[in-house]
Amino acid sequence: MRYRGIVIGSLVVVLLLVCSFAVLAQEKFGLKDIPEIKNKKPINMIVETGAAWDKVIEYIKQFETATGVKVNIERVASPVVYSKENVELMAGTGYYDVVYVETSWTCEWSDYLWDLEELAAQYDPKGVEGFREDIHNISPVLLRCGQAYGKQMVLPFYTYHMGMFIREDVYNDPTEQAAFKAKYGYDLKPPTTYKELYDQAEFFTRKKGDLLKGKTLDHDLYGVAMMAGAYQINDEITSWIWGMGGDYATVVKNPDGTIKEFVITKKDKDILKQALTQYKALLKFAPAGCLTANFDFACAQQGEGFAIIQPHQFASLFTWTADLLKQKVPDGRLGIYPTVGGQPYTGAWSLGVAKATKNPEAAYWLVRYIASYDCQKVLMKEGGQFSARMDLLLDPEFHSPEVEYPLGIVCSYLVDIWQKQAPYVDNYWYFNTRAGGKVYEMQMNVLHKPMAEEVTIDECVEELVAKTIELTSKFDTVPIREE
Amino acid sequence: MQTEALSEVQVESTVARKPAIWETLTSEKYFKWTLLIPLLIVLAIFMVYPLLYCAYYSFHQWGMRGEAIYIGAQNYRQLLNDKAFLEALYRTLKVLVICVSCELLIGLGLALLWSREFPGENIVRGLALLPLLVAPLILSLLWNFMFEFDFGAVNLVLQALGLNKVYWWSPERALYTICFITIWQWFPFSTFVLVAGLRSLPRDVFEAAKVDGASPWYTFRRLTLPMLSPLIMIIVVLRTMWLIRLFDPLYGTTRGGVQTELLDWIVYRTAFVYFDIGYGSTMAIFSLVLTIAVCAVMFKILMRALEGAR
Repeated sequence: MRYRGIVIGSLVVVLLLVCSFAVLAQEKFGLKDIPEIKNKKPINMIVETGAAWDKVIEYIKQFETATGVKVNIERVASPVVYSKENVELMAGTGYYDVVYVETSWTCEWSDYLWDLEELAAQYDPKGVEGFREDIHNISPVLLRCGQAYGKQMVLPFYTYHMGMFIREDVYNDPTEQAAFKAKYGYDLKPPTTYKELYDQAEFFTRKKGDLLKGKTLDHDLYGVAMMAGAYQINDEITSWIWGMGGDYATVVKNPDGTIKEFVITKKDKDILKQALTQYKALLKFAPAGCLTANFDFACAQQGEGFAIIQPHQFASLFTWTADLLKQKVPDGRLGIYPTVGGQPYTGAWSLGVAKATKNPEAAYWLVRYIASYDCQKVLMKEGGQFSARMDLLLDPEFHSPEVEYPLGIVCSYLVDIWQKQAPYVDNYWYFNTRAGGKVYEMQMNVLHKPMAEEVTIDECVEELVAKTIELTSKFDTVPIREE
Repeated sequence: MQTEALSEVQVESTVARKPAIWETLTSEKYFKWTLLIPLLIVLAIFMVYPLLYCAYYSFHQWGMRGEAIYIGAQNYRQLLNDKAFLEALYRTLKVLVICVSCELLIGLGLALLWSREFPGENIVRGLALLPLLVAPLILSLLWNFMFEFDFGAVNLVLQALGLNKVYWWSPERALYTICFITIWQWFPFSTFVLVAGLRSLPRDVFEAAKVDGASPWYTFRRLTLPMLSPLIMIIVVLRTMWLIRLFDPLYGTTRGGVQTELLDWIVYRTAFVYFDIGYGSTMAIFSLVLTIAVCAVMFKILMRALEGAR
């Protein structure tokens, strides 16, 4: 009996020790892990305006207190970020020590940014391994988007990976299901092909006075809400062409993995033409305002109960749209699915360290800190953005019954789609060219034109090809040609 | 003796003493330069240098990376064959004509009404100034929401009146919607300039015309309008300069889409979005030359009008 007590006591102690080690082993990188920073020169960074950063800025102050390095933050609207930073980077002023990067600019700015692993080797007591150990929790898709020619130039902190939002309550309604099957001959389910998407957009486009779920509509209803304005249409078209196995240009690699050339193949052009044709056809089931619409308009249409499907929307906007829908249509419920073809537009806002920085040490640790689990949790819980970290998205806190809808299902969607899309990202043209930022901006304008009847689809493809070649030739060293 | 000698020395020193710098700067000969030089320095740094810089790069191909490559007049040749640029130029001229005419007509009409005394005139005038006080970008964002097809206040009012909704941002209407926003913001400018002009006109001439039995229309045509013509020309010159550079109403609404891309937007897109500094500089130089040419013509007309008014 006496020994039994000792044995049980010992077992408890061993168990506690094992648990403690397990906890320690799982402990994430955080503020306490930042070693003493010798260089105390203040650092500058630019961040977007918006609620997300309002919260993170408070945590950056903790970084300042812990390290003794002052962080000067300049806040600007997101469309201005690129032009402001680009000038300083190109001129090598080092004005911005920490650089705010949209992932399609990574290659373009790679000559002006530090390879983060080089900085890790220099400043991290755990070296490159410590850095890799922490970042392996970040989405593989987004990490790859933040690489340039195999080097990790930036760390993503929140994602705008796209998805398809549908009115799940309508899709699950027996009346609608029966009516759809009777008309189209197959079951009503989230579309996975263009034909299904077209059929469903057509099916749900109704006039005021028609029925939806057996109730009379007091407003017109649109099958789809889209963003055909000259601002985000290219993100939608990108999802479309990636889903069809195309791209704006095909990346041709040498046997050693380096890039040989970019070719705008006949297949790329055909797919683009087809995507534009299908997109335009779908517009007749969308609200008239779509021609000047951005994300806020499209989400508002669905949130107000005016549209059933958003074929391509930034997943980070799901919770906002769902909350709006709950207010306007109390029994309404949204679902999020992969876009048609299963390869939605991807990317993230990320942070890197400028080569011309006067304090690479502090800039590196600030980037690591903002990408850390703790800081990302703040960004997600208090700032309402979706983290790039999978370990955070899978945190049980975001999957409790109270928050599973709408928050948890987006987290699950993102982790799932990242795993499925990871094999393709390496070949996406945006993330292999130094002209990505310029071409991206050009596409907004050119891809919008056929939707506004300014040019035909053939003329649009012709202009897009010509301008892609022109800009890539000017801003990239990799040769580009048209097949 | 000592006193006399000293005074001689003093006199000599007074004669030989060089004037202090301050005295030179404030002397009649140099004072105008003292006042002008700081301004000229500022102008040289912030106007002449960027202009020369812009002119230099308009003959080069440069994307802010590496050395600029001299390409002669290739950018200018490209400009003259650039369909998008020529369309933007055409649209800008269209906007210019529409906005200047409407602002002048509305401004003149309201000025004639408001130049008289009426109860609550200060409140009305104060309210009419409001559009000018709001930042153009904020205003364009507000109008963007107000003209929205499904949720916009304008269409909701139309529906409440039993009318059909209008798609204000359709490719056919969008440019006119942009014109409307611009006119709405800027009509108070012409109104108040003309109100000030009307109030400063000599009363005796009008009284004489009245005594002679001139009709109001005749008085307006033969007296008011000619006397106001210098002010009208000033409004036209200033608004022309500002309208060639119209940008903000596009930023908050169409972002150059739905066939609304104007000259300044295409310059911005080329120079600060693509960072094609060479070609963007060419466009900017063209825009500047156009503004100078149009304003020079207007200025000549203004001078003639002033002569006529005297």
